[in-house]
Formats: sequence, structure tokens, C-alpha cells
Amino acid sequence: MPKLTIDGKTVEVGAGKTVIQAAEQAGCFVPRYCYHPGLSIAGNCRICLVAVEGQKKLQIACNTQVSDGMVVHTQGEPVEQGRAEVLEFLLANHPLDCPVCDQSGECDLQNFYMAYGRYDPRFAEQKVRKPKAVPLGPTVMLDAERCILCSRCVRFTDEVSRTQEFGIFNRGDRAEVGIYPGKTLSNPYAGNVVDICPVGALTDRDFRFKARVWYLSSSPSVCPGCSKGCNIDIHYTLDRPHLDDGARVMRLKPRVNPEVNQWWMCDEGRYAYKAIDRCRILKPRHRGRALGWETAVLELAGQLARIEPKQREESVAVIAGTNLTTEALYLAARLFGEGLQIRNCSAELPVLPGSHDELLIQADKNPNRKGAELLGLAGEKARPAEPWIQAALDGKIKSLWVIGEDLAARFGEETVKQLAEKLELFVYQGSHENGTAAQAHWVLPSAVYAEQAGTFVNCDGRVQALTKAFEPLGESRPDWLILTALLTRLELPAPGNEPAKIFEALAAAHAPFAGMTYERLGLQGLPARLDGAGGLGGPAAGAAAKAERK
Amino acid sequence: MAMIIERKELNLWERLYLPEILRGLWLTSRHFFVNMFFHTAHLFGLFKRHRAAVTTQWPEELRPLAARFRSRHRLTTREEGTPRCVGCMLCETVCPAKCITIVAGEHPDPNVEKYPVRFDIDLGVCVYCGYCVEVCPEDAIRMDTNILDVSAYSRDQMKLDIHELMNPTLRKPVPECDLKFPHKCALHDGKLTGSWERVYGPGEKLSRPADQGTELAAR
Amino acid sequence: MIWEIGIPFALSGAILFFVLNLGGLHTWIERKQSAIMQDRIGANRASILGVRLFGLFHPLADAIKMFVKEDFIPPQADKLLHTLAPFLSVFFSLVAFAAIPYGDRLVIGGRVIELQAANLNVALLYIFAMLSLGVYGVILAGFSSHNNYALLGGIRAAAQMVSYEITLGIAIIGTVMIYGTLDLQQMVRAQGGLLFGFLPAWGVFLQPVGFLVFTAAALAETKRVPFDLPEGESEIIGYFVEYSGMKFGMFFMTDFIETIMVAALATTLFFGGWQVPYLTPDGFQFPWGAFVPVAAIPYALLTVASFTVKVLAFCWLFMVIRWTLPRFRYDQLMRLGWRILFPISVANVLITGAVLAWR
Repeated sequence: MPKLTIDGKTVEVGAGKTVIQAAEQAGCFVPRYCYHPGLSIAGNCRICLVAVEGQKKLQIACNTQVSDGMVVHTQGEPVEQGRAEVLEFLLANHPLDCPVCDQSGECDLQNFYMAYGRYDPRFAEQKVRKPKAVPLGPTVMLDAERCILCSRCVRFTDEVSRTQEFGIFNRGDRAEVGIYPGKTLSNPYAGNVVDICPVGALTDRDFRFKARVWYLSSSPSVCPGCSKGCNIDIHYTLDRPHLDDGARVMRLKPRVNPEVNQWWMCDEGRYAYKAIDRCRILKPRHRGRALGWETAVLELAGQLARIEPKQREESVAVIAGTNLTTEALYLAARLFGEGLQIRNCSAELPVLPGSHDELLIQADKNPNRKGAELLGLAGEKARPAEPWIQAALDGKIKSLWVIGEDLAARFGEETVKQLAEKLELFVYQGSHENGTAAQAHWVLPSAVYAEQAGTFVNCDGRVQALTKAFEPLGESRPDWLILTALLTRLELPAPGNEPAKIFEALAAAHAPFAGMTYERLGLQGLPARLDGAGGLGGPAAGAAAKAERK
Repeated sequence: MAMIIERKELNLWERLYLPEILRGLWLTSRHFFVNMFFHTAHLFGLFKRHRAAVTTQWPEELRPLAARFRSRHRLTTREEGTPRCVGCMLCETVCPAKCITIVAGEHPDPNVEKYPVRFDIDLGVCVYCGYCVEVCPEDAIRMDTNILDVSAYSRDQMKLDIHELMNPTLRKPVPECDLKFPHKCALHDGKLTGSWERVYGPGEKLSRPADQGTELAAR
Repeated sequence: MIWEIGIPFALSGAILFFVLNLGGLHTWIERKQSAIMQDRIGANRASILGVRLFGLFHPLADAIKMFVKEDFIPPQADKLLHTLAPFLSVFFSLVAFAAIPYGDRLVIGGRVIELQAANLNVALLYIFAMLSLGVYGVILAGFSSHNNYALLGGIRAAAQMVSYEITLGIAIIGTVMIYGTLDLQQMVRAQGGLLFGFLPAWGVFLQPVGFLVFTAAALAETKRVPFDLPEGESEIIGYFVEYSGMKFGMFFMTDFIETIMVAALATTLFFGGWQVPYLTPDGFQFPWGAFVPVAAIPYALLTVASFTVKVLAFCWLFMVIRWTLPRFRYDQLMRLGWRILFPISVANVLITGAVLAWR
């Protein structure tokens, strides 16, 4: 393994690595435009110049292979002068669009210019005019003038999405990025080109002009769009209600997780955030009449307690959704299964068919089916929930409690309507107004993933933590809080009044989660212990812990 | 750095108190008699050039303002009557009182790109610091209307919207909206009114080069 | 019979008319004089049909405002006392004028009419009694408002007025000793002579120290700047903080009426009252021997005019003082009253007595 010195620090890196990767390992940041760890190396932006001792000229860090005994300087006079000159060329044709450009505030051209640029431009000639504000597809807008031709987008569509829409056309200072005639940028991963574009050439049409990036706060989370569980950052603003008609979440950005989504996320997940602020259930209600939480919990706990123990065997059913957090599923099992001895408590419903591909998108659009399986609420060991609908229609089941599962979408509005007529107690606990919420006797508003801490277990069995970005909308409450309130009211043992404690209790009770805490899960998650493999002791955990340390 | 100012000891004459009181009374009554003389003379049309009082008889008589005086804001306009503002929200960002509200929209001219659909300043909150003018990269906002008499009967009336900001002569209640470009109009319940066609006319200027994505955008 | 009722009625009516109007006019004088002293113009916007008349309509507008404003009584206040206080205040300050002589005697159809509402031989004592009773209005206002600030203001007022009343009383004892009477009409007549053949024998020339002490103490009695600790409307808050409308207006009026009272007293005691220098009931007798005869009625009018001019001059002076000096601090106020003015006034009495005895 070659050993080299970067800015006085000695690092040992794997053979075949480049200087920029070695510098990263040494903790020295080298500026870059065209280099992206998830793409092939192009070496055309020239900003990553470093001085290598023994070489007369500056070398580009992204495409210089490390060799043993190399001495590299990423700082210092010649390097910074070289970067200033490269920036001067890059900015020769770059328009002064910063006030209107959505990228400003998170633009590498701005940032590196602040750090390395020469502040007295010498370029007095007319700038080359190129097409501006060209929609490339439903999600992406191109401004060819702002482009610095790093070709990251071209390489992304060639190598990652493999859809080949982008190309660089013309030559010299007339060269411009664009999509091939007759194509539109409509692949399911198109939004990623906006993320990787280091300047404002490619901007998100959805986010366009909605807010300035410096208004946004960020909170790490996990995409609930499918069972892949891509790591995301929720970008939201709470103090500017005039932006985007009062919505809090402005956009989602993928968060790097080499074990799950690497640098990417799909457009479906990226734009699913809009549901967070729209069509939400805001108040608990009973047959259309709004009431307070105290009353609702008191009433429902009373009704549950009044059901005869014998009847609980047959006439009560609880259907939990596989979109709930693991904590909520665990509490549901504790409350209804262990606590009230209701046998018919399950999340086992057939997976609805959905689009999927090899890269990220999974057919199962629920984020936590694996979690439910690990808790015994879904999968082969669990009781299938589908027959209960018929049983309820036949009058065998008299009480039905649904958490987070839209029965109307699965069984049709008409069935749910009949259910509401037949059932004595029909509770829907969920976040959004839908066909089930419209028919249920009791509606309890629950928080969405961005409004609560919790965990999801993705399709590969990786336990990943959500963090709470902001308070639940209206009077809605996280499912764990609703279930804890019921547990307390029914005088059953509740594991704690915060998700971290619930998760600890869960980890103690279920082997796949053994030894896990929110702290240990960190931002990247840990693989669950499946059939003795994985978990904290397994090799994958070691790798994850190493990644965490890094 | 703290400064210690020595208090001067009063001498006997000053401590006698009465002479100093008389000195004060002499000063004020001298002003009284001199001013009274000129006031009386003015009644008879004499010594008109010598002022007897520093009072400015506002609003009939306006006080001269310094050239850099910061008065009520206005939004400057382009030739075609649309605001110069490109909705960069820098003023909203820099505003220490958080009195500016901007919602940006897509301008039909790709060289302008962005414009304010909504631009409100809450003068009840504004501290007249002038940072918004200072920070504006487009010279789109100025505080040179020389309007000082900003007053209203309610907090809502203290909020200026784009109509009053673009036309400083307008006073509340704004009679009707004559803005031609699309904007969130306070006169129409905050709904979007106006269209770019009324500014540029129907035609090429509205279309973008290689506008193949518009139908997709309608998704 | 009609004369016996009509003449005192007319006499008291005349003085009340004079005092109340001058009091109302004081609001205008206060505004305009302070403005002119400070190089401003002053209130001039009230107009009737576009006629502004130097802002003379402002007192009128004020009066309308006072009458129309909400008359607020604090919920837990003592309603009776709260209502009574301003009436007491304004009543005692007004009745004191009864003993002020504002002209020489008038002889009409054989009737001798003293131009004085009530011809008392203890006029001075009467006036002092009325001024002392005025403090009740102030204390009751502070006490009945159910407001700590008002109460504190009332207590400050009581302390101040009691303190300065003593000085005030002693300051004029010298005058009383010289003229040997408490009857103000006689006192004024006694000031009719000449000193050294040319100087009018006014009290101020015989009792200059007494005059200064009297003026200072009397100003303190009026509760106006620089002695406005009981009110201090701009920062320390006074006894009438819970008053509004015309009840507040009455306290306000009391201040002005007391100012006029003090001006009238100073005129009577120290500036010869209605005396016109060198004017005798027959005509002007100048020191160089010239004589200008004056008839009886013009003579009476001249004396009244003289009194009026002197009172107005004092009002002007008090207004200048009010707009020149800053307010005393409480300790300064008490020190001035007890340790400076009081000893001086006592010394004045002793020296006057010694001089009188020696002569």
C-alpha cells in the first residue's frame, strides 16, 4: 500500500487511488467541480490543482494516481495561484446571475471564488450568450450560460441512470451542455443532476424561486417512499410562511450512505415531500365531531377496556401499516397483542404491485415492512390481516383499529363504507385525509415521518433512524405518543415517553435489534441481526462502525 | 473606556443661587421680548426676512430633507413599467426587522428570469435602516420618496404592497389595481392577477428558446 | 335692599369673572409664552371658520374636550372623595379672592363701595386659611384614587404645602408689622405714600427680603415648576393621575387660579395693590410739583387697571420662571424650604422688629 505525505500528514491508501481520495483520507479538502466520487473521472475542470514535489507543474488531484513516497501540497502560493487562474477562465463566460440563481448560497463557484478567486477580474470582453432557462424535462431547468462544462451530468446519465440524455455540443467557448434532440430528461433519477451540478446550470424546477437556500434548515431523515430507505436531508423553513403557500418542507436532498443509496435518490421520493404539509388530519374526531386528545384517549381506552376478554379473541382486529416506525409497531404489539390479549393484531397484508428497478426503487412502497417482519407483525409468522375485512363484513369482527393503512386504497371505498356500517368500533389512526379517514368512526391524527423520531428497517434489513425536523402539524401526534397515552390510560406498562426509550425496550425484547440505541445507529444506520448474522457483532456492523468513525 | 468628568465646584456667587436664577430668567425673557418684537413687527409687515421662530408649519410648509435622507420605500421600474426587482430576496434576508415579504415568480424574459409576484413591506415593523437599499444588486428599491407621514388607523394599513411601492403617490385605500404583470394582488384577495401578455403583447417574447419542457412542466 | 344684595354680588361677580377668564386664558398664555421663549410659534391650529386668532380658540377647544371626555373613576376608588377632591381644590382657591381689594373705594350716589368682594379686617388670615384648606383637595385626590402613584403624589404635595406654608406665613409677618394691620384694603392704602419723596412706599422697598421669600414660597404653594413635585406629569406621576375630563381640568384650573392668587397677593402686599404711583384720589401729584387732576370715576378705573396690570405682570414673571427653571429634587425642595427660606424669613421678622423698635 503506497504511503504518501499530504500537507505534512502521512497517509497510507489503497493502490490505484488518486491524490484527491488520499487527501480526503488525510482530512485535506481539495476543491473540485468535475470530480465526483460516484462518477468516473473526467479531469476537465482543473480546479483541484495540487503541487507534487518533483513535478515541475501543478497536477490535478483527481486524476493523479498515488505512488509511494509522494509529497503533496494542497495549500500554498503556487497552488492557490493556479486555482485563481483556473477560476478566472471558468468565470470568463459565467454570467453575474447570482441574485436570480437558485444555486447561490450553495454554489461551489461562489464558495471557491471566495476562497481562492482573484478579486480584480481582467476579462473585459463580451461574454458568450447561450440559451437560458431551458426546461429539459419535468424537473430540471438548464441555464447553459452558467455551465462550466464539468460534465458531471453527462457522466451521471451515462453511468448511473444509464439513460444517456446529456451531451456537450459545439467546441471552444461555444461549447454548451444540452440534451440530445428529441429527448427529454425524464428518467426516474433526473433530479440527481441538479444535486451534482456544482453551479447553477441545472436547477430544480420544483424548487425554482421558491426560497433562497439560506432560509432552509436541514434535518437528516430517511425517505419513506419505498422499502429502500434512502437517506435524505429534509430542507425546511418554519419562519417564512409566505413561501410556497405556507408549506414547511421546501425540498428533499439525498444524504450520502454508501450502504444504501450512495449519493442518489429517485425523483418519486424527492418530490413526495409535498404530502407533509397538505391534506393532513389536524384534529382527533369522532363521527365528524372534533374533540380534544384527552377526551378521545379516555373514550377509546374505555371502549377497549369494556370489551369482554373472551370476545377479544374473536371480535377485535388491529391492522397496523408497514409505513409505521418500528417503535410504533412495537407499541401496537405491546398494547393490543400483549396488553389487551387481542390475537388479531398484524401488519401482514399483501405487497401491492409497484414500479421497481435495479438501482434504488423497490416495488414495496412501504418503508418498514422488514421492521414489522422482525417484530413478528408481518411475514410468514404473522396472522394475515386480509381475511379480517371479510370477517368484519360478515359481522364476526365487531371492532377494528387501523393504524396508518389506507383500507380504501386497498379494498375500495365501498368496502370501507360497509365496514363503517357493520362495525361497532372503527378507529383510523393516520396522518392524511383519505377514504378510510372519511368513513372511520374515530379518526386520530398522527404525525408524519418528518415530525417524529423513530426507526425504519429497509428491505436489506438495515435499521435507520429518523430525526424529528419540526413539530407535528395541527394537533396531530406521533403514533408512539398516541399508543403510549393509551397504554398509560389502560394502566399497562409503557416503555417510556420518548422514542429513544421505546427503542431501547424494543432492542431488549427483540433479538434482531439487540444492543442497538439511537446513538449507535447514528446517521448511517446498522444492519439488523438476521438469523444470527449481521447485528452488532457481525462483520457488516464493524464496517458500519468504521464508516461512522470516519 | 470610561471617562471621568470632574464636576466643577460652585463658587459663592453661583451658590447664592439667586443671581444665577436671574441670569436664567434674563436669558429666557430676552428671547421672549426679541421674538415678541418680531412677531408683532410681522403683523405689521415689517422685518419679514427675520424669522421669529424656527417652527416649520407642516404640512403647508415642508422641511428640506438631506439628499441621503431615508424616507418611505419605492420599487423602481423598467421602461415597460414592470419592477426592476428580480426577487433575489437579499433585502428580505438582510432586513433586521423582518418586514419584507417576497414571493418570486418566473419572468418570461429568460435574461431577467425572476421577478417578485408579491413584494410587501410592513412599515409598522420597518426600522428605516436602509439596508434593503444598500444590499439591492439591481437598484430596485430606494428610499427617496420623501414621504414621512406614514400613518394609519390599523396595523394592516401599515403594510405596503406592490401597488403602493411601485407608485409612491398612491395612498390607502388603493383605488384599483393597474399593474399589468402577474402579481399577488392585495386588492383581489391575494389572488394572482395581470399577465405578461399585457406587458409584452402576445407573441415570441413569451416563448423560451427550445421550450420543449413546458408541456412536461404542466404535469 | 337691592343695593345691599346687588353690590356685593356685582363685586364678587367681577372678581370671579376676572379670575376665571384669566385662568382659562392661562392655558393659552402658557402655550404661547413658552413657545415664544423657546423660538417656537405655539398652538395656533384651532380655528373657527378659518379664523385662528393666534390660537385663542385653543382654550375653548380644551374646554370642549374636557367636558366631552370620559369621566373615569377607578373601580376601587372612593367615589365620593374622588369626585369631591377637585371641587374642594377649585373652591378654596376661588373663595380666597373674596378678600383681595382690586381698586380704591368708589363713591356713587353717596354710597361708598370698596372694590373688594368682602371687606374683612382679617383678610390676610382668611386668605391663608383658604389656601391651607386647598391642600385637602390634593390629599383627597391622591388618597381616593386607589393608586399608589397618586397617593405618593398626594403625600409629596401635603409635605411640600405644609412646609412652605410656614415660610409663607412668616415671610409676610414683616409686612404686617410694618403696616400694623391684617386688612388688605388698609394695607394697600398704607402703601400710597412716598419714600424719600419720590419712591412709592410699596412693600417691596420696605421688605425686599420678605418679598423674595414670599415669592419663592408662594410659587411652591401653586405646585408649578420648579416646585411641581406633586404633579410631575411627565415622569414622577402626581396625585391626579387617575383623573380625566373636567375633573382633571379643575385641578388644572386650580393651578392657574392659585398662580393668579399668588400674583394678586404679591401685588397687594408688596407692589401697592391698586396704587398708581403718584396718584392721589384728587389727581397725580408728581414729586417735582406738577399736578394733574383726575375725576372720581376715572380714578377708580385707573386703580383697577393698575391692579390688573400688576397681576398680569406677575403672571408673566411666574410663567417665565416656570419655563426657565428645572424641577427641584425632593431633598433640594425640603432643604430650600426648611434650611434656607425658613431661617431667612425668621431673621427678616427679627430684624424688622428690631428696626421698628429702635425707630
